[in-house]
Amino acid sequence: MNPLGFALRNAWLVPAIPFFSFILVGLFLRPWSKKAAGVAATLAIFASAFVACWVAWEYFRLYPPGGAHPPLVPWGIEWLRYRTGLSVSMGVLVDPISVLLMVVVTTVSALVHLYSIGYMRGDEGYGRFFTFLNLFTFSMLGLVAAPNILQMYVFWELVGVSSFLLIGFYYSKPSAVAASKKAFIVTRFADAGFFIGILILAYYGYMAFGQLGGAVAAKVAGRSATALQPFDFLYLADPAVLGKLAALGPALLGIPLLTLAMVLVFMGAAGKSAMFPLHIWLPDAMEGPTPVSALIHAATMVVAGVYLVARLLPAFVAGGSALLVVACVGAFTCLFAAVIGITQDDIKRVLAFSTLSQIGYMMLALGVVSAAHPLGYTAGMFHLFTHAFFKALLFLGAGAMIHAVHSNEIWDMGGLARKMPITHACFLVATLAIAGIWPFAGFFSKDEILAAALGGGHAGIFAVSLAVAGLTAFYMFRIYFVSFWGRPRSERAEHAREAPAVMWLPLAALALLSLVSGFVPMGEYVSLGDAPERGGVDFAIAIPASLVALAGIGLAWFFYGGPAGRAQRAAEALGAVYRVVKRKFYVDEVYLFVTKNVVFRCVARPIAWFDRHAVDGGVNLSARTTRGLGAALRRLQTGQVQAYCVWYVAGILFVLLVLWAARM
Amino acid sequence: MIAGAVHTALFYLLACAAIALALAVTGAQRLLRAAVCLMGVLAMSAGLYVLLGAEFLAGIQVLVYVGGIVVLIVFTIMLTRSADLLEDKPSFPRRLMAVAASVLFLLMTAGIFLTTDFRANPGALPPANEVLSIGRSLLDAGAEGFVLPFEVVSLLLLAAVLGSIVVARKTPPPDQPFTSGGDRPGEVRPDPTLSQNEAPDGGAR
Amino acid sequence: MIRFLASHPPGMTHWLLLSAALFSIGLYGLLSRRNAVGILMSVELMLNSAALNFVVFNRFVQPGRMDGQVMAIFVIAVAAAAVVVGMAIFVALFRHRATVDVNRAADLKH
Repeated sequence: MNPLGFALRNAWLVPAIPFFSFILVGLFLRPWSKKAAGVAATLAIFASAFVACWVAWEYFRLYPPGGAHPPLVPWGIEWLRYRTGLSVSMGVLVDPISVLLMVVVTTVSALVHLYSIGYMRGDEGYGRFFTFLNLFTFSMLGLVAAPNILQMYVFWELVGVSSFLLIGFYYSKPSAVAASKKAFIVTRFADAGFFIGILILAYYGYMAFGQLGGAVAAKVAGRSATALQPFDFLYLADPAVLGKLAALGPALLGIPLLTLAMVLVFMGAAGKSAMFPLHIWLPDAMEGPTPVSALIHAATMVVAGVYLVARLLPAFVAGGSALLVVACVGAFTCLFAAVIGITQDDIKRVLAFSTLSQIGYMMLALGVVSAAHPLGYTAGMFHLFTHAFFKALLFLGAGAMIHAVHSNEIWDMGGLARKMPITHACFLVATLAIAGIWPFAGFFSKDEILAAALGGGHAGIFAVSLAVAGLTAFYMFRIYFVSFWGRPRSERAEHAREAPAVMWLPLAALALLSLVSGFVPMGEYVSLGDAPERGGVDFAIAIPASLVALAGIGLAWFFYGGPAGRAQRAAEALGAVYRVVKRKFYVDEVYLFVTKNVVFRCVARPIAWFDRHAVDGGVNLSARTTRGLGAALRRLQTGQVQAYCVWYVAGILFVLLVLWAARM
Repeated sequence: MIAGAVHTALFYLLACAAIALALAVTGAQRLLRAAVCLMGVLAMSAGLYVLLGAEFLAGIQVLVYVGGIVVLIVFTIMLTRSADLLEDKPSFPRRLMAVAASVLFLLMTAGIFLTTDFRANPGALPPANEVLSIGRSLLDAGAEGFVLPFEVVSLLLLAAVLGSIVVARKTPPPDQPFTSGGDRPGEVRPDPTLSQNEAPDGGAR
Repeated sequence: MIRFLASHPPGMTHWLLLSAALFSIGLYGLLSRRNAVGILMSVELMLNSAALNFVVFNRFVQPGRMDGQVMAIFVIAVAAAAVVVGMAIFVALFRHRATVDVNRAADLKH
């Protein structure tokens, strides 16, 4: 461990700085000075970002790109000890994807903090907002840096709590409160599956630990600050262990145990990353302030699921059909969300569905990984990396537009290109990036995903991905044309002004990142196994993809860039189909129906009845019995001396009887 | 032999009379009747004492018990107007309870008496001078003497007398509130010993 | 007949049963009487039977000493004291409540 540099040895600083900032801002600075709270919180995240970049630099200096990148656990302490061979530690895991995510999370979070200083100005809960943002950043970093699955679960839940607090930030709005509850309940439900998956893995892992633990520990010796435990990723990703787990017999309905466990774990990932059918919370989560949407529901929290799958990818690969499930769910969500996104009018909703679609891309990229074609791993992570930047930019830009026009509807905007030039330029950059146009970042990452799908032989998934690329370009440019081109469509749009510097500086920074991040040779840094993925552009894929994207842009220009009314007529022509899609395929209604009629009526009501009558009734019964007994006994106190005398005599007789019987 | 037969016959006679009169004491609805029956029971008891050879005690019984206590009881009946105020008719449940308790008690005691060997030696002779013997016992300060109880009983009687005077007097102690009135039930007469209650006579004395 | 009576004198058990019977009757009166004076009379009955008991034991178990009779004298004395105090209380009670009905004097009621 000696050649570790300062940053690597103190990698715990990356999650710790936001944590201390959270305490400081929340308890001390917030009541004292709002402004100081905002500034302190932002500075803390910038500091954390700096340390994260330093850690990345040191790690890749230690393990240069192009070679092997083994995971390191440079810092850890034992947290819970169940028994000698079974304990849970808290620590920091440093490996390519965790470093990648640390950098992404801290950078985007820092820029969002800066943006929020301007966006949230004048708001009642200004200090509270920054406190929660810091809490969230800390939780996300803890999740990303987790060396074992239990720590990841703890921070997973913490992230869910932060999200809940931030979605419901405007707590006086009933819709916001409802949305935060929905988010929390859906993700919590998914986490139940996740936890069962963890238990299965941990249990059988522990069973095998006696046998295999020593060998695995020897392999990772010197790279971990704490002793190897069955919960550690280093243990669970080991091929010998996975082989043993995969060999375990069928569990439920003939499904092998490992597959079952991984599907359950994926359930948790699907909940957090809003995969179909657990996607319902994400569009509603747009009730939160826009910086929250940018940070949590675009760039960072929702990719936690992707990160989990990536972290446990060896286990997924060993789990056979579990990976197929990932790919199918990812692909379906990708298509489903893109189709819905075409019809929405609320700019944040469109972006939310766009996020769903892009995460679908990441999931399907991971899903097409196989031992022979591991490109999907790199592709998924690459897309995560670039998507964080341009999606955050899209949201922050949308925030600026909403701020200027005081409405979320795109039909209230229009002509903003002239009124808000900087926002316009940055937004255009991001839209081009997401549409996958060269030389912006999205082009490269989407390209790799398509290559991975095709290379793995998944023709259907490839087709879906290609189609969605076109759809993405279409709906993103739909917003662009409607909001920025043409004439102002509302009174407020007339008077829109550019955002203040503290808001457009982060936009500019993210635009720059959206431009250059595509040129990072990700394959040399992040790859499954020890060999790097060769980078470069595969023209056989790039050209069709670009053509599809351009076609999408062209179609959007046709409907929305030209004279008004074309889109209207097309929508009317599609009639019922259009209506169904606009109502998001009625998925929310189905959920509501099921919840009301099945869960509430058949499960919750009997349980509530039982609780009220049996449990409470039991307690009340004991109270009533005591009172009744008391009342009955009270009646003995008649005040009649002769009644007391009778008892007296009875007592004497009893004593005499006892003595007599004893003598007998 | 005649003496023995008379003894036995008297025993049963007195016993039955005593029990019958006792039942009347507890069951009679009119109190004066009950008081007289009590007098009867006590007289029968005196007779039984004579049968047992305790003539002195029989005399004391008649003098004190019959002549003093029952008379006192009759006075009280008069004073509390219980003779004509109400008819003492206890309710059926009350009577049932009382019967049950007393019958059980009787059975219990009878059981004990019948099954215990009291090491009786009825043939032993009583002392020559009974009254002297009693007197001697009462004043005997030794281990088997009764001088302590004797003195205590005399104290008890003194206390009883004083206490009853205090409890039963018509005028309440000075620190209690007064209402006007005399000796009708429920009324209290003002204390004439206090200056505020003196009959006004101008103070010129 | 005379021979029969002479040859079956009342033994200790008979005497004891008599006093037990008197006591029980007194107990009955104590528990069922409504008038306070009636209760006191029942108590007198019980005390009397106790004294009788003492004398019986004296006569049958140890006639050489006078212990039983002395105890009976004490019983009588105590009974007298009890009656005196009781009567005083009843008179006072009557003065305040215009009744000596025990059922009505139920101040110890809950």
